[in-house]
Amino acid sequence: MSSRDHILSRIKAHKPEFIEEPVITLELFMDWKHVKTEFTMKVEIAGGQVFEATSNQNVTEQVSAMFPESKVNFSTLKGTDGFNTINLDAINKPHDLEDLDILILESGLGVAENGAVWIKDSQLPMRVLPFITKHLVVVLRKDAIVTFMHQAYRKLSCDQTDFGVFISGPSKTADIEQSLVIGAHGALSMSVFLV
Amino acid sequence: MKVGLFIPCYINQLYPQVGKATIELLERLQVEVIYPSGQTCCGQPMANSGYEYESVGTCNNFVENFKGFDYIVTPSGSCAYHVKKHYDIIPQTDAVTKVRNTIYELCDFLVNVLEVKNVGARFPYKVGIHKSCHGLRGLRLGSCSEKVTEPYSHIGTLLKEVLGTEIIELSRKDECCGFGGTFAVTEEAISVKMGKDRIQDHLNNGAEVITATDTSCLMHLEGLVTRNKQPLKIRHIAEILNSVVD
Amino acid sequence: MSHSKAATIFNKDENKVNWHDKALWFVRHKRDKSVHTVKGWEELRNLGHGIKAHTLSNLDNYLIQFEENAKKNGVQVHWAVDGEEHNKIVHQILKAHQAKKVVKSKSMLTEECHLNPYLEADGIEVIDSDLGERIVQLAKEPPSHIVLPAIHKTKEEVDALFQEHLGTKPCNGDPQYLTGEARKHLREKFIQADAAITGVNFAIADTGGIVVCTNEGNADMGAHLAPVHIACMGVEKLIPKQTHLGVFLRLLARSATGQHITTYSSHFKKPLKGSEMHIVIVDNGRTEQLSRPDFRASLHCIRCGACMNTCPIYRRSGGHSYDATIPGPIGSILSPGKDLKKHSSLPFASTLCGSCSDVCPVKIDIHSQLYKWRQLITKETPQPIIKKTSMKMMGNLFSKPLQFEKVGKVARWSLRNLPKGVINSKPNVWGKERDLPLGPTESFDEWYKKRKKNE
Ligand code: SF4
Repeated sequence: MSSRDHILSRIKAHKPEFIEEPVITLELFMDWKHVKTEFTMKVEIAGGQVFEATSNQNVTEQVSAMFPESKVNFSTLKGTDGFNTINLDAINKPHDLEDLDILILESGLGVAENGAVWIKDSQLPMRVLPFITKHLVVVLRKDAIVTFMHQAYRKLSCDQTDFGVFISGPSKTADIEQSLVIGAHGALSMSVFLV
Repeated sequence: MKVGLFIPCYINQLYPQVGKATIELLERLQVEVIYPSGQTCCGQPMANSGYEYESVGTCNNFVENFKGFDYIVTPSGSCAYHVKKHYDIIPQTDAVTKVRNTIYELCDFLVNVLEVKNVGARFPYKVGIHKSCHGLRGLRLGSCSEKVTEPYSHIGTLLKEVLGTEIIELSRKDECCGFGGTFAVTEEAISVKMGKDRIQDHLNNGAEVITATDTSCLMHLEGLVTRNKQPLKIRHIAEILNSVVD
Repeated sequence: MSHSKAATIFNKDENKVNWHDKALWFVRHKRDKSVHTVKGWEELRNLGHGIKAHTLSNLDNYLIQFEENAKKNGVQVHWAVDGEEHNKIVHQILKAHQAKKVVKSKSMLTEECHLNPYLEADGIEVIDSDLGERIVQLAKEPPSHIVLPAIHKTKEEVDALFQEHLGTKPCNGDPQYLTGEARKHLREKFIQADAAITGVNFAIADTGGIVVCTNEGNADMGAHLAPVHIACMGVEKLIPKQTHLGVFLRLLARSATGQHITTYSSHFKKPLKGSEMHIVIVDNGRTEQLSRPDFRASLHCIRCGACMNTCPIYRRSGGHSYDATIPGPIGSILSPGKDLKKHSSLPFASTLCGSCSDVCPVKIDIHSQLYKWRQLITKETPQPIIKKTSMKMMGNLFSKPLQFEKVGKVARWSLRNLPKGVINSKPNVWGKERDLPLGPTESFDEWYKKRKKNE
């Protein structure tokens, strides 16, 4: 018998009697907090920052002002080509992106209860980008923020994403004596621009 | 209402004053209390050590002694919990089920059956409540810090009404004291350390007295307090509720 | 070594115990603060428990569904009966790619299977990329906690370790500097890696995808840069639907560290074009545990570590005292299922205070299971004869009220009349650091009888 069949047959023999799948009742959790305020607060708790912007152009302007020293920039926003200092098509190996200073991405989904934004393959020319960049900037429409993860997954259920990630704040660690240090392996900072 | 009083073995032998206080308090509240003379132990010391099967005779003896009462009251949360939770090792006769359903820890009985809060006691000290675990997380005699629920505490409800008592807030509301039955001996180092930390929390917050629903925890804490000559008195809650002037 | 022996050694340095206790209590405190802002937290725990119980009751079918979907996604799925087979599979994949340098993100399963030494024996370099794991890897120690692997190390110890292995400058244990240096060191490893190994937090039957949660971003740095991604999971990581993540991701980070969600919750479904993705599904004793009705709920565990942070014993004995891959309360109910004899002291390393069960996001009745393991252990492993007989005697004594009274009298008399030195002497472990109560002249029994007579 193959290991697969061996494991499956053991499970079949040992599993308990069927137990019904519980139903998730959203009403149990409704706390009627203000979605945008809550989202902003949670992004900040996660070590990120939230700004408002009027247009894509306005985002890149604000970002350039925030990081005047930056050299290598890339944005996926429409109409912001002037901001880009690199052409992704010219890069053969993602490893070459090591010097990326600023990455600006779009997200179509934010979650108020934890300040997470959803980034998926179709918004991501290369999977490693949001992790390898020094500073991550995400543009999110205000009306794309839901209250809880339950609603977020309802939205995602009709979405065929090959790779997607919820990101909440910059990368961090507290592995040395529980002292929080921002900037572990991923981005050193994260900013969300609400439009 | 006929109440059978269960006095755990170590209270009977080592802390009779706790038993006396319990009986006097209940009688003061007009409860008819009977102490069945054939009682010994609830079986917990054996069961928690992994020898549940050796405790069958003890459990049967317990049921035999208490099956005839409307309620069983005991000044020990952990014994009440043991009967409720672990008496499934003997056949569930009507008598066994009745005993399991009618056993109450003292404070629980006062607050939820007699529905009294003020028992007319006076105890002018700063008191820290050590929330014995089996009563707290087993019998839910109060809200537990791990859970997201409305705060409540039966022992606190009663103590709040005691004249002159000031309840001390602890830094760790419901940390275990480290007694744990045979744990106190088999894991001596940790048991002692936990007890010392629990005492320090009381001292740091200005307690003069430590109280609890369980004498076993208190015996462990008292052993440390006496050995280390610390300025703390140890009193079972029954003794406080039964004290008019100290 | 029994848990109590290891704990006694750990307790020789009381300051270190205090430090360790406080560090973990701080995490428990952060968890409290965060869960108390969630309306319906207890309902959420019920859901977590319910979904896991449901999954186990249909696990074979969900695994089949998962495999089918994963294959459709272009992922290669492997099955391993035990740790050894798991290691072989991983090794084979690496060999096929001539991979010599591997980065690994946190995976308790690969610890359990001892994957690193297995691969290292063939000259493959395996770098643990989670900072805490890298620290213990450099120190040649196993992790002492499942979420905070290096929680037992002081910053000064990390400082010394990094100076020795990474050539850092002395910094009085400055976490910022040390983390920065680790970032540089590991960046290089990520860039050079031929393959990445990750754990799996959740495997989703209805999409065939897996979810990996990290704060550092190390799993993603590894998986997206290397040409091969191998994800290793125990059979119990399965959940039926992607929507169930709504429940588990709300529970996991809050219980683990008090964060509302981990920084990265990465959903891997299809491999990158030109890259390979493998999933290794491992049993290694899990189906055995599934066969035990009293203990199968231990398979609900989502490895948040909350039961460790809350455990008053764990906090004061350190993770290594459990001598098992998974320490703490959950480890103490999992380990006896693997090797009852070796781990027979673990279920007794508890006061049964129940804090673990109340803190557990998936409501595993941990302390009840500890109690049940005790009952099995006394029957199935050799016990000290003295313990056995004294329990039997106690059982007899308590069944016979008259005898009980006589013995009590003797004991009280001894407490009152024997010199303290005798009472608190060596064989009496109780008395090493605690006094015994002063034996009262009369028992409650005697008092009650007298009182009745006088009525
Ligand atoms: S047993 Fe529960 S509390 Fe402990 S690690 Fe597992 S999920 Fe977390």
